[in-house]
Amino acid sequence: MRTRDIGKESLVKKTAIETIAKGGFESFSMNKLARACGISVATLYIYYKDKDDLLSQLAVEHGKQMGKSMLHNFDAEAPFEVGLRQQWENRYRDLINNPTLSKFNEQLRASVYQEQFLSTLMEDALVPFTRFNENIISRGEVREMPFEVYWSVAFAPLYALIKFNNEGQSLGGKPFKMTDEMLWEAFDLVVKGLKK
Amino acid sequence: MENFNHILLFRTDIKSEEDKQTLGSLLDKNKNIEQWNVDLNDEDYVLRIISYTLKHEHVIEMVQNYGYMCCELT
Repeated sequence: MRTRDIGKESLVKKTAIETIAKGGFESFSMNKLARACGISVATLYIYYKDKDDLLSQLAVEHGKQMGKSMLHNFDAEAPFEVGLRQQWENRYRDLINNPTLSKFNEQLRASVYQEQFLSTLMEDALVPFTRFNENIISRGEVREMPFEVYWSVAFAPLYALIKFNNEGQSLGGKPFKMTDEMLWEAFDLVVKGLKK
Repeated sequence: MENFNHILLFRTDIKSEEDKQTLGSLLDKNKNIEQWNVDLNDEDYVLRIISYTLKHEHVIEMVQNYGYMCCELT
């Protein structure tokens, strides 16, 4: 008799994330995943209807988890610098401590599962983040600008540094390891640039 | 404990949407099949059938009679 095994299910999810982080969605197959987990292909199809079902569930769960982690200790009513610092800290903590997660994110964002990932990610986070962005403008801390302009200045430097760090090199293959000092140096410049 | 004996799994060569539809006309008619699906996006083209009454050999015979390869996925 086949039965559901929670341990196996989490092994499947963990291995799938690692495999996709490394090789992307293109070469991902249920057969290879089963082999990497040391289980039968049949066991995978007991848990999931098909490959698409597995990947959709993975995208949604991952989005939920990322959304929760992005909101850790975040207060929408906080002053601009405090609130943005918390957002940097949350993203930095996640993506530096877990390079696999960071690569998996990148793969998801470039895949057909992007929509599912982002909508679950923002499900809980959209309201507090929007509120924060409205607050900083209405309090006159940051001037009004297109959201994309704000986002690019506020977060792109963080993601660029994390990418350099996780790849172990920056431009021209120069070895790179990020330090907390570099992170907060970049943060101070961002705050300086955005603050009125 | 949850039992999954009603999920019957097969490796097949049902590779295209047309193949799937051809076979679908057979499977949809069968009152013993609650749900069925073919994973066209993966290399084993797994046919997944939910049935509380059919056995693997019934399905294999049915699908093979339609000219497709079908063996139990273990």
